[in-house]
Amino acid sequence: MIELAQVVQAPKIDYQGLAPLFSTIGGSLAVLMIGLFRGRFVQRTLVPAVAALALLVAMGMTIANWEAGDSRPIIEGALAIDTLALFMSMLFYVTGLATVALSLRSDVQREVGAGEYMALLLGAISGMVVLAGAENMVTLFVGFELLSIPLYVLSAGYVRRAHSLEAGLKYLVVGSVGSATLLYGLALLYGATGSTDFRAMAIAIGDTVAVTDPLLLTGVALAATGLAFKASVAPFHQWTPDVYEGAPTPITSFMAVATKVAAFAVTLRLFDYALSDAQVQWGPALAALATVTIVIGNAGAIAQSSLKRMLAWSGVAQAGYLLAGVVVGTQLGLQATAFYLAAYLFMNVAAFAVVIACERVSEHGDGIESLRDLGRASPLLAWPMTIAMLALAGFPATAGFIGKFYLIEAVVAGDYAWLGIVIVVGSMISLVYYLRVIAVMWMGRFEVELPSFPPRRVKAVAGRSPEADARAQPEVASVAILAAAATIFFGIVPSPLFDLVSDVGTSFGGLV
Amino acid sequence: MLKSYLPALVFLVLGVGVGVAFTFANSLLGPKRPSKVKSEPYESGLPSDVRKSFRFGVSFYLVAMLFILFDIEVVFLYPIAVRLEEVGTFALIETVVFIVLLAIAFVHVWRRGALEWK
Repeated sequence: MIELAQVVQAPKIDYQGLAPLFSTIGGSLAVLMIGLFRGRFVQRTLVPAVAALALLVAMGMTIANWEAGDSRPIIEGALAIDTLALFMSMLFYVTGLATVALSLRSDVQREVGAGEYMALLLGAISGMVVLAGAENMVTLFVGFELLSIPLYVLSAGYVRRAHSLEAGLKYLVVGSVGSATLLYGLALLYGATGSTDFRAMAIAIGDTVAVTDPLLLTGVALAATGLAFKASVAPFHQWTPDVYEGAPTPITSFMAVATKVAAFAVTLRLFDYALSDAQVQWGPALAALATVTIVIGNAGAIAQSSLKRMLAWSGVAQAGYLLAGVVVGTQLGLQATAFYLAAYLFMNVAAFAVVIACERVSEHGDGIESLRDLGRASPLLAWPMTIAMLALAGFPATAGFIGKFYLIEAVVAGDYAWLGIVIVVGSMISLVYYLRVIAVMWMGRFEVELPSFPPRRVKAVAGRSPEADARAQPEVASVAILAAAATIFFGIVPSPLFDLVSDVGTSFGGLV
Repeated sequence: MLKSYLPALVFLVLGVGVGVAFTFANSLLGPKRPSKVKSEPYESGLPSDVRKSFRFGVSFYLVAMLFILFDIEVVFLYPIAVRLEEVGTFALIETVVFIVLLAIAFVHVWRRGALEWK
């Protein structure tokens, strides 16, 4: 007979390391309970304030935990902290704060209920933090689902709009397929290496398991596919435009930034740490995926007349750039990817904030027409959008330029120079659609050639709130201005971010 | 090591075999005299009133989901209750956390009116 373990040992837990997670999960429960009380003050002020407070506390604790070097376990064998996990967590919290501000005046909060909305948002952030710190494939999957399930619900936030329900359902179906593929891949990786622990996997590969082991390679391929779904890497990107368009815009901005950061955090850890010895095998495959993603994303964005769809396709292209940093599997690649993720956050949050401000007042909704003559009507919104577009295209003096420069340096140093050329060509194509947005905003007197697709039926949301004016949304405008300012700041003075990123580079001890 | 699985295999074969045998034995050996009344679905002896297009109220699904949430999750408490002395204080604290989480969900569901039949 099998002897039952007589005494169950409690795992060693580093409560200081776990504190940020306590803060976000506790905040999630608190807003759920507070949200049960009715009243304008509770629903519109107290709940978002508590959510923002939970995020700020988590940020503070994350900063306190910052320490360069190899990873330290929080829960033995399940969660660990290293600078990569902490850096990515900071990006999640910043995006979360921006989303809380952008949702303040959104009617989706009233439709779902402020408490539920914020609880789901904080739940998704907790999942991302778990994912970024996972030390084990089981924890990885738990974090993956904890981040996905709240987002399925949130994308269907406009319960009474067919568009939004469609987005939620599509995301659920595609996301489940992605999760299942990932799980299958992880199971095969476990079968090949005999361990679910990343460190043990890294030791086993090349030692007891050959890098050409078919079981291992099948597992790698399936895991890469599952993660590619979440990061919207082509050819697994088809859901992205529809879901981004249908979801409430604050949630779209959260998905576009935080979900992508989370997906890349775990891709970096799985590929550049656990599977790094098999890089010769998966490197070319991921490089091919990155190329396809850059081409398809940029080509797809050109014909879009909806800003949200355009940003979705642009996000696909950006995922391709980011994947290039993972491909090389070097310390430089890790640093470049982390840097570009931070830059990507600022550029996209700025762009989405302006889209939110404009779609609330324009009869064109999120159509590109809603930005017409914004330069004259409201320069405080037009400038952040201009900066965001230039940065996404990679213009000098923006964080986007430094990020791309860094990525290209990394891929060239990693013997993938042709991938650097693909990045440059992709950025050139992207000018077509990024510059069009700028032209629509500033060159009102000249006809700008817009995509000649039939206009989508858009319901004006402006009629619902009397204060609906782009300038009467100070919180949205300030998010846009702050994000754009950060984009410019880190484009001119990148050294603070460089310092953080070089700490991040020390996370995986063995990397060259 | 594989030998220890032999009883399980025998059990599996017996279970499937007996089930299949009884299912078919009945229809092979039993007398069959069908009539219209006999072939109607049984509904407490009353003439059946249910049509193919009958639709359930959505409340049934809600209640079923809540049942799974609160009833099935409580099953997890039994193994801990039985072996609490072995698993120690840590497991007790974990269980309390689990119950608190369930309680929060319960309060939320209750206050949101999901327990009222509509």
